[in-house]
Amino acid sequence: MSDNQSAHFKGKDAIGHVAEAQAHGIISAAEVHGIETPGYLSAGCDAGRETAIFLPFLWLLMTFLHIPAADIVSSLAIFSLGWLFWKLGRSAWLGWFRLERLNRVLEEERWEIEHHRQQERDELGVLYATKGFEGKLLEDVLDVLMADNSRLLKVMVEEELGLSLASSEHPLKQGMGAAMGVFLSALVCLAAFFVWPAYGIFFGSFISISISSYLMARFAGNEVIPAIIWNLGLAILSFGCVYFLLDWMSVLARNV
Amino acid sequence: MSSLFSAQKNASETALQFIEEYYEEGGQSAISPFLRPESRYWGAQLTLKAAFIAAVMLFIAFGFSFFVQMKPLANFLLVLVYFLAGIPSLIEAVEDLLDGEINIDILMTLAAFSSIFIGSGMEGALLLVLFSLSGAMEDAVTSKAKGAISALHKLSPTKACVVQSDGSLIDRAIKEVPVGTLILVKAGQIVPLDGRVIEGTSSVNLVHLTGENMPVTKTLGDTVPAGGRNLEGALKLEVTHTSSDSTISRIIELVTQAQEARPKLQRWFDKVSQSYATTIIVLTILFALSFPIVFSMPLFGVEGSIYRSLAFLIAASPCALIIAIPIAYLSAISACARKGILLKGGITLDALSSCKAVAFDKTGTLTKGELKCIGIEKLNSSGSESVDEALAIAYAMEKNAHHPIATAVTSYAASRNVASVSVGEFKSIPGYGLEGVVQLQQSKKNVYIGRPNYIADKLPVVERSFLLQRIREIEDQGELLAVLLIDKSPYIFRFRDTPRFKIAETLRAVQKRGWRTIMLTGDHEASARLIANEVGITEYHSDLSPEDKLRFVSEIAQKTGLAMIGDGVNDAPALARSTVGICMGKVGSTAAIDAADAVLLQDNIELLDWLIDRAEMTSRVVKQNLFLAVSAILCASLPALAGYVPLWLAVVMHEGGTVLVGLNALRLLKK
Repeated sequence: MSDNQSAHFKGKDAIGHVAEAQAHGIISAAEVHGIETPGYLSAGCDAGRETAIFLPFLWLLMTFLHIPAADIVSSLAIFSLGWLFWKLGRSAWLGWFRLERLNRVLEEERWEIEHHRQQERDELGVLYATKGFEGKLLEDVLDVLMADNSRLLKVMVEEELGLSLASSEHPLKQGMGAAMGVFLSALVCLAAFFVWPAYGIFFGSFISISISSYLMARFAGNEVIPAIIWNLGLAILSFGCVYFLLDWMSVLARNV
Repeated sequence: MSSLFSAQKNASETALQFIEEYYEEGGQSAISPFLRPESRYWGAQLTLKAAFIAAVMLFIAFGFSFFVQMKPLANFLLVLVYFLAGIPSLIEAVEDLLDGEINIDILMTLAAFSSIFIGSGMEGALLLVLFSLSGAMEDAVTSKAKGAISALHKLSPTKACVVQSDGSLIDRAIKEVPVGTLILVKAGQIVPLDGRVIEGTSSVNLVHLTGENMPVTKTLGDTVPAGGRNLEGALKLEVTHTSSDSTISRIIELVTQAQEARPKLQRWFDKVSQSYATTIIVLTILFALSFPIVFSMPLFGVEGSIYRSLAFLIAASPCALIIAIPIAYLSAISACARKGILLKGGITLDALSSCKAVAFDKTGTLTKGELKCIGIEKLNSSGSESVDEALAIAYAMEKNAHHPIATAVTSYAASRNVASVSVGEFKSIPGYGLEGVVQLQQSKKNVYIGRPNYIADKLPVVERSFLLQRIREIEDQGELLAVLLIDKSPYIFRFRDTPRFKIAETLRAVQKRGWRTIMLTGDHEASARLIANEVGITEYHSDLSPEDKLRFVSEIAQKTGLAMIGDGVNDAPALARSTVGICMGKVGSTAAIDAADAVLLQDNIELLDWLIDRAEMTSRVVKQNLFLAVSAILCASLPALAGYVPLWLAVVMHEGGTVLVGLNALRLLKK
């Protein structure tokens, strides 16, 4: 193995290099929200669930601080707006973060094609040999693929790195999905609170969590009922934790 | 199954197209190839959209600021403005600072963000909005400039059809094709690499390289440049230069060098702005620290030195100065656009006003670039056919061909209402001409039409020398010709390129201004002389290569300033290197259009005198605006620093300067 080849393959043979590159590609393609359902839907459901947790927490805090109900509604609406900006920007930013990383991987592969053509040919040879190509047919395939740099880049990105082109949502679209999730979830929670000031906000929160859990499970192809119940259970656990600990604090304060 | 395969193929082609677009646009993440097709428009002109939304928010905030109860909402909107327009400026400013660079962008950002601390957030937001709008315009111009190179790259194929030792054919990337390799260029294909013909004959159209829309015959031993289009037969070439050394690559290199060498004025502005920004920032810090010692004033508070220094910084921020130039140019650009002249940036007008000479390409610029048949000449009296019969035969043959001469002959026949005759045994001889058999006066006759030498070879010695002599006489007059042979009777078809509408009057008007007019052409001397005489140009240079044109243009541009008007790819380096490059929009090649500073969209070269006039007027308005802007800055910043002018008045004077330069610039909108 020449020095040039050794530097390119980093001490590995072609198939070892391909395996490493594929792993690198898979890591690069990993969805920042933690699941592979991409884009606005994932961001919207995620933001909706977080809003449905965040608003009842604030409601509990304000109730324990004896803030009048009329002020609570407007305060929650204002907080929701601020939260919407945060989720919109944050989700779009994460999308850009991922896109920047993918673009860098693409650029690295293009550089390899420009500067290490023989090694790229070897890698391509290994990839196509595992698909059953051999002898002159394999050489002809390699010649055809190597003749067009754009096509070669596409093949290497998809087959070596395991990335999918033309498959990601634009970060802004993802951000808008998150904003929509916050908006709808806040609307449901506040409407429920308006109808039933005592505990309506929890009711609204459960509706939002149920819908977003249902959508996520449905699109991920997972079981719907366990997804909804697990998420509701987690929400109740969180609410219970905050409610009873605040209650304990107020009892302590009264006794002191 | 087939529909699934078809969908996969379409997806694959789409991805491939996205990769190519991504790199052509210089790797902008807004059009990343990883994005879904329907997602790609989300990122289009994002900077401009953000600047526009920020401007709208600022306008609403300004309205709200007049009502006490709406003040908090106005402040909320200002936060949005600072977010949309301020964050990109802040990132750039911090990056510039980390690179050890202090420029006007840093000054603007510092002034805008500092204004919040002295309660003038609205003024700061205005600065940021104007700043981001001008940045978005700059982005648009830069991406246009990048397009020049990508258009040239598109001219050249990325792969070549290589003939292997066993005679089989295989596509290879042009980068992998060494000198000496045999390649095959089929009819209709673009020549991928410079080569020498070792088999075949064909006409090759070099219009995209030379601007001359007259195909050239290439036969055994001839060299063929990359970028030419093979029109008829197949050519087998031996590669003479690698892709990095090919004709088209050399032109790309020349354009790149020329573009880099061009913006002298821009560099001057950058230099001045850097010094200005550094001076103002240093002075601000100096005043803030020294005033408490020198004038015994407090450091903080409304009467403190920091407050005054910040007022000085804001008042000295070059708001009016920054819009003084762009707004004048924008107005002039709009007026030009309404006349069908596209300017790629206002600095073009400034540069044009500094020129004292204008150079023209010939074909396609001074002339229409379309051959026109101006007559048919019967060479001897032996033939029994009339001129109209000869034209009918030529028409019948040429209507089957795709060639500028064929188009000229068919148009000529149509204009004279000559009907076509029936031609049998029609055959095309690539690179030479056409042949066939016609039925005339109850007898069949062989007919040929094509290049003079092709026809001359079919004549006896005496007639041949007579024909060749006549051909020389006609060519010496700068005309082109084709010869029709009916049995042994030759007919000469004469062609000429026609000057553009009102070109002579336009040139006279430009010459009256004291401008030097020059014609630079790759065409031969006789043709150049003919057109020069017709349009009234006394100085012309013929037989020029792209390098020769570039040399002429560089010399004149350095001495007196030169506007160059052209249309072909061979003009692209000269257009980029000239003080101002002007391209014909309809006939111009993409590369030439991209390399130029101005485009005459309707090939309306008769507007050249008006354009020069507008450029001179713009230059005057820019100077007036600069004077007004500098005066406004001096009148606002110095008294503000001395404490004679309260902050609100300083801001009013500062903004008043901005309004004044705006109104002055609007005069340029007049058609």
